[in-house]
Amino acid sequence: MKVAVTSTGKTLDSPVDPRFGRAKNFIVFDTETGAHEVLDNRSGVDAAHGAGPQAAQEISRSGAKCVITGRCGPKAERALQAAGIEVIPGATGTVAEMLEKFRRGELSSSAESSDPNGS
Amino acid sequence: MNELVVVSGKGGTGKTTLVAAFAALAEKTVLADCDVDAADLHLLLEPRIRRREPFKSGHTAFIRQADCTQCGVCDTHCRVDAIRIDRDPDGNPTFSVDSISCEGCGVCVHFCPEGAIDFPESTCGEWFVSETRQGPMVHARLGIAEENSGKLVTLVRNEAKRIVHDRHFELLIADGPPGIGCPVIASITGASLVLLVTEPTLSGLHDLERGFELADQLGVPTAVCVNQHDINPSMTETIDRECEQRSIPVVGHIRHSRDVVHAMVAKQSVVEYTESPVAEEIRKVWHQVNAMLQAGAETRA
Repeated sequence: MKVAVTSTGKTLDSPVDPRFGRAKNFIVFDTETGAHEVLDNRSGVDAAHGAGPQAAQEISRSGAKCVITGRCGPKAERALQAAGIEVIPGATGTVAEMLEKFRRGELSSSAESSDPNGS
Repeated sequence: MNELVVVSGKGGTGKTTLVAAFAALAEKTVLADCDVDAADLHLLLEPRIRRREPFKSGHTAFIRQADCTQCGVCDTHCRVDAIRIDRDPDGNPTFSVDSISCEGCGVCVHFCPEGAIDFPESTCGEWFVSETRQGPMVHARLGIAEENSGKLVTLVRNEAKRIVHDRHFELLIADGPPGIGCPVIASITGASLVLLVTEPTLSGLHDLERGFELADQLGVPTAVCVNQHDINPSMTETIDRECEQRSIPVVGHIRHSRDVVHAMVAKQSVVEYTESPVAEEIRKVWHQVNAMLQAGAETRA
């Protein structure tokens, strides 16, 4: 299965990018082969409008079935849902750390995301 | 670094008035005016521009007359009536693009059978880094008929963050755009705290609720300030109750006062202009907001 992580850099030890549509890069990791590819999201960063849905399209094209990011906006979330891609919000730390947590099943999807004003 | 973004579902509730006052009360702060459609923080802070850059975004179609065969395909497909057809005395048409109507969708470029339409990137305005009496400020000015965008807001925010970092400051205060659209999403994503400024009217309440939903979706901590609370006390109560139900802190009520207008006319923030009760209420809001920012920073650390 392929997992996409929004990343500020182009390597697995880069810090995650909390933004989705305007994230600098997407790192798409294949959990079966352990290989990864880097998708430069310059066109999303530079988009005047619609960066979120455009990013969702990129992710869908990459074949990823799951996205690990900070948070994504309402339109991006709907687009990802429509493509059957799961969103795991609240990412912090590095890409590698998030992938390791994902592998151990320690990450929860958007359905159970916490209340930002709560604890 | 803390980043406070002041927004409102509804425009004209007092965002800039509060940001200018916060700027006067906070120390070592960089300001960002992300409300580029109606940028006005510069009116109060009289910036001295240190750096000026063109802002390019989107595209505008341009028909090369030498290659145009006047077939009219562009006009058929254009959804915003941006294709202008001028006729000479013999009735021969000339096709051109009205650059103000053109929204840059590119449909004419795609369908033109002659490939006679260029599609250059447009320069929509300028952005600036300035010094003000309250510290550095990043702001922008758009050309006629250009609109704010997530791209421009992201640029202004990133520049402001860079200055916070370079000068070893700890706070960025952004004057956000109204509404809940793309520029607002670009303003608040990843911020430390969003202060939603509202007024006690039905549209104020309605748009506040939309603001709550967006901040919740983006996972940003939120606080509310009711401006001119005394013009409609029962609606203020309704707003307070709504916030309580959602567990969103109300960090203050600010009264209606002519001092606010007088301060604006004097090109000052309210807290610079007067010591009257309204200024005291704004100071209290700032202290509450600052306490929330500090507490948030401790939790993150």
